[in-house]
Amino acid sequence: MTVATRIEGSVVRTARPAPPKSARPFHASLLDAPWIGLISPLLLLFAWWWVTKAGLFSPQLLVSPGQVLDTAIDLAQGGELADHVGVSLVRLFTGFAAGAVLGIAFGALIALSNTAERYTAPLFQVLRQLPTVALIPMFILIFGVGETFKVFIVMKATFFVVALATYDGIRNIPKGYFDVGRLYQLPVGLRFSAILFPATVPALLTGIRIGLSRSWLVLVGAELLAAESGIGQMMEMSRQIFRMDVVMVGVILTGLIGFLLDRSLRLLEWWLMRWRRA
Amino acid sequence: MSQAFRAKFTRSGWRGLVLPGLLLLLWQWASHQGDVAAYIFVPLPKIGSDIVHLTATGELWVNLKVSLLRTCEGLAIGVTLGILTGALMALSRLADRLIGPLYHALRQVPLLGLVPLLALWFGGDETSKLLVVSLAAFYPTVLSAYEGIRQADRRYLEVGHLLRLGPADVFAQVLLPSAVPSIFTGIAQALAFSWLASMGAELLFTLGPGIGAMLLNAETAGSMETVIICVMTIALIGYAMNAAFRALGRFLMPWAAAS
Repeated sequence: MTVATRIEGSVVRTARPAPPKSARPFHASLLDAPWIGLISPLLLLFAWWWVTKAGLFSPQLLVSPGQVLDTAIDLAQGGELADHVGVSLVRLFTGFAAGAVLGIAFGALIALSNTAERYTAPLFQVLRQLPTVALIPMFILIFGVGETFKVFIVMKATFFVVALATYDGIRNIPKGYFDVGRLYQLPVGLRFSAILFPATVPALLTGIRIGLSRSWLVLVGAELLAAESGIGQMMEMSRQIFRMDVVMVGVILTGLIGFLLDRSLRLLEWWLMRWRRA
Repeated sequence: MSQAFRAKFTRSGWRGLVLPGLLLLLWQWASHQGDVAAYIFVPLPKIGSDIVHLTATGELWVNLKVSLLRTCEGLAIGVTLGILTGALMALSRLADRLIGPLYHALRQVPLLGLVPLLALWFGGDETSKLLVVSLAAFYPTVLSAYEGIRQADRRYLEVGHLLRLGPADVFAQVLLPSAVPSIFTGIAQALAFSWLASMGAELLFTLGPGIGAMLLNAETAGSMETVIICVMTIALIGYAMNAAFRALGRFLMPWAAAS
């Protein structure tokens, strides 16, 4: 009987690619449709539009979606938006690159050398506990309100996450991999490029992705607190002069940038890890 | 996280103290290199006397209490709503498809990026800060409750089915208990995030008391010793809350020894 049902099932499946109706009710397959996911964002957009249209809130508190779009286009055409975003991204990538390179170097050092680890681990662990957000005022006192403090705060946000990810990545490589390398008497360079590096990449990439999104959060915070330019400063300035439209452009844009940064690193992860899926 | 690393931490012995000791000596030396250097590298005894002063006047404790209370309040709100939302999304496909996209879209905005918007809407006082903290607790809890319930072992559900449990009993006796470890991890994350969010909110909203506000005032006044004490207190509290929560987790769920 089981054989019969199985055959019957396979026949049904070949005859109709869609799952049989009895197993999946109509409303369930309807819920799988991609456009269903758009309903709630569109509803929110509609509610937003309707509320502003009805004038329930003063325009100082809420501006219509259309006006936010107009403001965004205005700012973009005036080149203002590109300037602010550009400045923020330069800060982000400078600090992030420095933090990531140092983090990888340090993480690899303490993972490969027990001596280095014994000497530095406790200090590293204690410093790692210092929350980046709380360090912003201290960095302002030390470096002033200029570019240096922002780059350093991003560096701090990146360094510890990446260093720890590198350390974990290297330490979690199965001992057998290295034994194979020794057995084949691979030169040291090749052991690095063929064993150590590929085996560390997955953990490292995750660390880098987390580091980047934290860096973005911290940078926006730092710019809100003290900056002459940048997307955070644009929002803070507009808040002070009650330009709700510009503030909302800023909020949407910071979300979009954060999303794109995360998504592009996920793509990179997916591309670099294609050998695993094969 | 890295269990091996933590184990090594204790095995470092005296070697681990070399670098911090050297740094402290260097710091103390730098503090004697003129007024400009002493402004940043505050002499260590001065930090010590400031700790005594701030605790004796109660300034540290008063501010800390405000921050801690707000964090706990925000945590309670965010975690409760988070578990409810996550459970709803995990149980109802319709809710999942409706709430999910909105949740993932709104989550993209860095929490501190919302501050200017919230400042215009709710002003710069406690309401806005509590909202930021609650959101910080809400996001990770939703995800952990959702995943915990979705990943419930199918065999348990079948047992529930065999015992003819009603939907409410299945939820209370099968789904929720099996989701507890995941939810616990989510709350641990929420705890860390909401403490940081509380600090960020205090720095950016700048109205009212709190240890973050105290930190910002010290920065404006240019008193490095108070800044250092505030940063250390914030780090210490964050660490202590995390450790206490993990200990609670081990005590309540000895079977889930993970992380």
